[in-house]
Amino acid sequence: MIEFEGVRVLVVEDEPVVAMCLEDILEGLGCVTIGPASRLAEGLALAENEPIDVAILDINLGGEWSTRIAEALRARGVPFAFASGYGTCPEGFDGPPMIEKPYREAEVIGTLRELLPP
Amino acid sequence: MRPPNDQESVEAPLPAGEDEFRLIADSAPVAVWVTRLDRHRSFVNRAYVAFLGVSYQEALDFDWRQIIHPDDAARVMQESIAGEARLETFELQGRYRRHDGVWRWLHSTSQPRWDAEGRHIGFIGVAHDITEAKEAELALREREAQLSAFINQATAGFGQVDLDAKFTLVNDRFCEIAGWSREELLGKTMLDITHPEDVGRNLGMFERAVREGTPYTHEKRYVRKDGGIVWVNNSVSVIRRPDGEPFGVLAVTLDVTERKRDEESLRKGEETLRLAIEGAGMATWELDLTTMEGAWSPNRFDLLGLRRTQDLRGTVDDWLDRVVLDDRERLRDAAYRCFRHGIPYTIEYRIRRADNGEERWLQSHGSRVSDSMGGPRRFVGVSFDITERKRAEEDLRESESRFRTIFEQANDFLITTTLDQRITQVNPAVLTALGYAEDEVVGRPVSDFMDPDQFEISRAAVAQKLAEGGTTRLTLQVRAKDGRELIWETNSRLTTDEAGNPTGLHAIGRDMTQAKRDEAHLRLLIDELNHRVKNTLAIVQGIAQQTFKAGVEPVAARHAFEGRLTALSEAHNLLTREHWSAVSMAQIIGDAVRPHGGDAGRFELDGPDLPIAPKTAISLALAIHELATNAVKHGALSLPEGNVAIRWSKAGTRDAPRLSLIWTERGGPPVVVPGKRGFGTRMIERGLAAELGGSVKIEFAPGGLVCVVDAPLPEAGG
Repeated sequence: MIEFEGVRVLVVEDEPVVAMCLEDILEGLGCVTIGPASRLAEGLALAENEPIDVAILDINLGGEWSTRIAEALRARGVPFAFASGYGTCPEGFDGPPMIEKPYREAEVIGTLRELLPP
Repeated sequence: MRPPNDQESVEAPLPAGEDEFRLIADSAPVAVWVTRLDRHRSFVNRAYVAFLGVSYQEALDFDWRQIIHPDDAARVMQESIAGEARLETFELQGRYRRHDGVWRWLHSTSQPRWDAEGRHIGFIGVAHDITEAKEAELALREREAQLSAFINQATAGFGQVDLDAKFTLVNDRFCEIAGWSREELLGKTMLDITHPEDVGRNLGMFERAVREGTPYTHEKRYVRKDGGIVWVNNSVSVIRRPDGEPFGVLAVTLDVTERKRDEESLRKGEETLRLAIEGAGMATWELDLTTMEGAWSPNRFDLLGLRRTQDLRGTVDDWLDRVVLDDRERLRDAAYRCFRHGIPYTIEYRIRRADNGEERWLQSHGSRVSDSMGGPRRFVGVSFDITERKRAEEDLRESESRFRTIFEQANDFLITTTLDQRITQVNPAVLTALGYAEDEVVGRPVSDFMDPDQFEISRAAVAQKLAEGGTTRLTLQVRAKDGRELIWETNSRLTTDEAGNPTGLHAIGRDMTQAKRDEAHLRLLIDELNHRVKNTLAIVQGIAQQTFKAGVEPVAARHAFEGRLTALSEAHNLLTREHWSAVSMAQIIGDAVRPHGGDAGRFELDGPDLPIAPKTAISLALAIHELATNAVKHGALSLPEGNVAIRWSKAGTRDAPRLSLIWTERGGPPVVVPGKRGFGTRMIERGLAAELGGSVKIEFAPGGLVCVVDAPLPEAGG
């Protein structure tokens, strides 16, 4: 899909199979996946240092919360979306869109459109 | 006290034969007087004079109206006038001031006197001092009223059944909740009114409670007489006799069908028990201590149910024979001590009437008198029937003890306080829950047992009740002696005196600590379950997406998908068995290889039983499944002689332990390096590596596939 060709998407998702799945969806859209990161430290390092256009963050990383990654992205002005099975945003983040897991291609497309400047 | 002298006797002459009467009357410990038609007293006995503390002459003229208690005066005088006018026996009861200024309760009986021609000539009266009995009764009544208010004014229903589940005691509230009258309930068992669908469960708990003494709380339905259904929350406990033997089961019942309640003002407590000293009159007798027989007043025969003898004389044994066996020795001892040593007695005992066998209570006074002429010594006695008083006392005592049993043995917390919330009474359940002794609780303010914010809630509720009446229902945090916080649900209302003025508070409470904790726990569980289900669905979706990729043959894809789901499901089974705590690595690997020949000796497993976290376990199970599937299809297990060794160990340093796991295939066909990376390879090399935070390498070595895992040892708690 030409629309997202070459878009660099940071994926933070701690469930390997689910991460692979999202990776495949993004690959199908022509995006470049940064990660996937399955741990907080790993995700934070990528969020602070890699060139990134947009990010999708699983909220719960095996008991740790990804809010610090979100803060780092906000500081850099990188748009991001949260992903969760719960369907509720962490405290202090009302703005970002919410992707409810399991990931569906249509929803991923909608979210990327919302986040990326036209 | 001054005995009447001869002169005074002359001034107030008595009819012939009344010398005898005077002797008897003077020995009686009760006041006796005789009036003439003009209402002037012609005789009073020693006790009468002693009570007033004046001379005999003054006693004759004494205006008793000036010593009646102001609260009783109007009533007593009105009754007295009415009684005299009727010319029948009448009784009065009231408080009179004794010469020493003390108020005494007197109970008098006045009887008209008639002369030989049947003309009315005045009255003869007897007055007992009943102060002690009255005070004891008042004290008991107060206690009974307090307890009965507790039970009957309670917002909760109290239903007591015997061990066969038959109702033995129900309060008004219980009847109201259950929808049957007291009379109807007392003919039924509690199962009769329990909803048929609730009977089985209820019966089990009931029988267990009777058998093992286990209290329980449950909710069930009663079927009301009108066919309606009411939901109740019952707190049930076994009631025991003082010797510990269970004799019934008590349910404290709350109507949970409609939480609103209380518009109906509560009905009054038990019917006021009547004070029962109704001496029908004084029966007298005398005894010649040389012949041991003497004259009896006619009503003494009546009192004992004996036929009046021609000469109106009887013996000591005629009397003692009527006394019930249990009391006879005691009475005989007292009487003979009086006969022999002159020690007067006052004694209460039971007789069995000769005519109808009825048991009655009598009170008798006896004293020995010496004849001034030096004649034989004699004994005189008086008796009163006090059965009604005794029965009332017994009833009251029984009622009090019944309520006390409920108070003491209820599972629920029963508390009374003053209006400023100082505790006046608690039942043992409160002490058990808080861990205090009774004297550490009674007399202390409620605020000592809760934090200030909680006390504020409780105080506001009292203010509301004082303003608007009714019941308040609160959930309060209470502090036990050891500092634990307990959550109590309490219903409380004001207690009132007869005039309706508030006098205090009573509260009934139930411990909700466990219930609240369970509720919070349940909410957590539901959130957690939701999370896990969503997570599992995401994994299943991922597996499906990876398995059913374009270009994969559908039947093979379906088999692969089923295999992967089975591996996932096996891992979940193990996690569920272990309640999602750490599971054994050997177990996870064993489960994962079993469908691929794990039971047929194709796998050699060797390694310590390391605990791994649930999430890691799922990734490991999926990875092992992929390796095993590949081995069966293309690797060592595709030939009968091939096998797989899985070895793992703890490596690294003590501070940084590492997991080393090696999968080695042997005896398979020559290894071919696959052209493209499939889901399996990705799952293993990237997925498992990411999950473990280490490295996972697959080598397509010529002798057989080898997979090497090197990762920080996963923490079981992670």
